[in-house]
Amino acid sequence: MSLRRVWPLVALAALAVWPWVAPRYFVFLASLVLVNVVVAIGLNLLSGYTNQLSFGHAGFLAVGAYVAALTTIHAPAVPVVVTLLIAGAFTAAVGLAFGVPCLRLGGLYLSMATLAFGFVITEAILNLDTLTKGADGLRVPAARLGGWPLSSDTTRYYLTAVVAVLLVAAAVNLVRTRPGRAFLALRESEIAAQASGIPVALYKTAAFGVSAFYTGVAGGLFAFVVGFLSPDAFDVFLSVDFVVMIIVGGLGSVPGSIIGAAVVTVLYDWLAAFQNYRPLIFGTILIACMLFMPGGIVRALEPLSRRT
Amino acid sequence: MSLVASLLIALVALVAVGPAMAQQGVSETEIVLGCSNSFSGPLAYTGEQATRYGVDLYFKALNDAGGINGRKVRTVYYDDGYKPQEAVANTRKLVEQDKIFAVIAPQGTAPVAATLEYLEENKVPLLFPFQGSPITRGKKYVFSGMTLYDRQSKMMVDYLVGQRKFKTFAVLYQDDDYGKAFLTAYEKDLARHNLKIAAAEPVKRGVTDVSAQIAKLRAASPQVTFLVLTPGPGAQALKERQKIGWTDTVMVSSGPLTDEKYLGLAGDAAEGVEGLSLWPDPLTSDLPGVKAYRAAMQKYFDKNEPNRYSLSGYVAAMLFGEGAKRAGRTLTRETLIGALENVKGFDSGILPPLTIGADHETQKQGFWVRVEQGRFKQLTDWLKSD
Repeated sequence: MSLRRVWPLVALAALAVWPWVAPRYFVFLASLVLVNVVVAIGLNLLSGYTNQLSFGHAGFLAVGAYVAALTTIHAPAVPVVVTLLIAGAFTAAVGLAFGVPCLRLGGLYLSMATLAFGFVITEAILNLDTLTKGADGLRVPAARLGGWPLSSDTTRYYLTAVVAVLLVAAAVNLVRTRPGRAFLALRESEIAAQASGIPVALYKTAAFGVSAFYTGVAGGLFAFVVGFLSPDAFDVFLSVDFVVMIIVGGLGSVPGSIIGAAVVTVLYDWLAAFQNYRPLIFGTILIACMLFMPGGIVRALEPLSRRT
Repeated sequence: MSLVASLLIALVALVAVGPAMAQQGVSETEIVLGCSNSFSGPLAYTGEQATRYGVDLYFKALNDAGGINGRKVRTVYYDDGYKPQEAVANTRKLVEQDKIFAVIAPQGTAPVAATLEYLEENKVPLLFPFQGSPITRGKKYVFSGMTLYDRQSKMMVDYLVGQRKFKTFAVLYQDDDYGKAFLTAYEKDLARHNLKIAAAEPVKRGVTDVSAQIAKLRAASPQVTFLVLTPGPGAQALKERQKIGWTDTVMVSSGPLTDEKYLGLAGDAAEGVEGLSLWPDPLTSDLPGVKAYRAAMQKYFDKNEPNRYSLSGYVAAMLFGEGAKRAGRTLTRETLIGALENVKGFDSGILPPLTIGADHETQKQGFWVRVEQGRFKQLTDWLKSD
C-alpha cells in the first residue's frame, strides 16, 4: 500500500481509540478540533477554491448552532442526525440567499459584505430574544440518537468524529468532481472559467451554499459539544480565527483545512494561560506563516512527503 | 512509525491515569483554586481586579502568614473575554487538567450560567461568583457572592417607599437577564406596598443612545427612576437627563451599577444620583477590614489603586479561607461545603456579620448612597433584605 492510502487509515484508527487513551479534557478538546475542521473545510471550499474570502463564517456557525439547539429544545424526539441535517440545510438556505446578491461583489467588497453579515446575525440573535433568549444565552439539551441521550464526552466526541469523517470524505470527493474542478478554475481566473463554459454565477452561489451547509452542521455539533450558546461566542474574531485556520493550513486543500483547524485550536488552548499576550502571539505566528510558508503548512510539508 | 505511535499512546495513557489523590486540588502543602474570568473584552478591568488584585491579594497575605492549616493557596486563571463558550472550555481545563479544588470568583451571568451544570454534575464547588442573578440558587455546590438582585430590589423599594415616602416609580433597564430580573423584582416589591411601575423602558445591550427612552420616561413624571444598566449606558442616561433638564426625579442605580467607573463616565451629571452600594468605599472607609485591605494593597501592589472589584475578590478569598480553616486538615469538597454552611455571624471587618446557612447566600445586605462632589456618600446603615 502506498503512503497516500495508509494515512487515512491511521487517522481513522487514531480517531477511534482517542477517547480510550486520552485524558478527559483532551476528548473535549478533540471534539472542538473536529468541529473546527468541518468549519475550515466549509470555508476553504468557498475561499480557497472559489477565491471568495469570507469574514462572516462565525455568523453561519451561529445560525447552525441556534437552529440545532432550538430544534432539540422544541422537538426533543428528533434524532440528532436529522437535527444536524436541518441545521445544515437551513444554514445553506441562508448562505444561498446571501450568496446571490454577493455575486456582483468581488475581492475586498465581498469580504466587507461577509463581515457585515456576521454582525447582522449576532444582532438578529440579540433581537429575536423571545426565540434565542438574546444576550442571556441558551442552554442546549443533550442530543438524542433514538432513545439514547448523547450526554457524555465520549458519545459527543464520537458523534462529532463520525460527522467530521463523512464530511471530509465528501469534500475530498467533491473537489475531484466536475464542480470541484470548476471551483478551482474560478479561483484561477473567472474570465477564463467563463470562456471555458463554466456557469460562473451558478458555481459561485453553489460554493456559498455548500460552505454554509458545512458550517451549519459544524454549528449544530458546536452547540452539543459546548452545551451553551450566546451571541458573544460568534463575534468577528471567531470569523478571523477561521480564516487564520485555512491560511495557516493551506488554502484550497482539504488536508490543509484539517491541519490548520487542529493547529489553531490546540494553540489557542495552550495560550489560554497567557491571556493578554494571546492575540500578540497569534498575530506573530500568522505573519510568520504568511512570510515563510505562504502556501500554508500543507505546502511546506509537500517536499517532505515526496521524499518518502 | 508504529513504535512512535505506541510510545505516544503509552505516554497519553500514563497522563490519563495519573497519581491517585485523596482530594483533587488539595495536597499536603497546597490548595489549588482557579476561575475563568474576563482579562480581555468589556469587563477586563473588573475581572483582573477581582482576581489578580483581589483574590490573590488576600491569599498572598494569608500565605505569608502561614496559609490555611499548613497549606498554601495557589490560583490559576484563564481568560474568557466574557464569552460563555470560552468559559466552558476554560472551566473544564481547570477542573480536568489543572485539577483545581474549587472555582472561585468567576464573573458575569452568561459565563457563569454556561458552567453551572457542568460544575454541579462533577461536584466541583463554585464559590462566590461576581454576578447577582438568582440562577445560582438551589445548587448543592454553588455559593452566591454578590447580594442577589431580588434582595437588592427589596431593600431599595422598602427604603424608598418606607423611609423616603416616594409613590411613583419608573425603570430604565437593560433588556437581558440582569435587567429583567430587577424589573420583575421591582414589580413584586412595589405590589407589596400596593404600588405599580408607572413606566418601564428597555435598552438593548451594547446600545449607547438612550435619549428616546429618557424622553418617554419623563412623560410619565415619576418621582424615582431606577437605572438597571451597565456603566456606559448608565452614564449616558444621566448625561441625557442633564441635557434635557429633567430635574424632578431621583435617579437610583442598581447595586452592580453603583461603582466608580459609572461616576467617572457621567462626570458632573452624576451629582445627586442615589443608589444601593454593596461594598463600603474602598478608598475612604474606616472599617478595620477595609483598612487591612488597603494596607495589603500598599504592601503587595503599591501601584494599584484600591477599588470595589478587588475588594469583592478579597472578600471572596477571605470567605474561602474561613470555610477551609473550619473544615480542618481533612479538607474535601464535602467538608468545605459543610463548613461554609455553618458560618454564623462571621466578621470580615468589611461587610456586616455574615451567616451563610443552607441557602448558600453570602452577602444579603447593602446600604444607601448619594453622589456628592463626585463621591458616594453613605446615607443609611446596612439595610436588611430578610
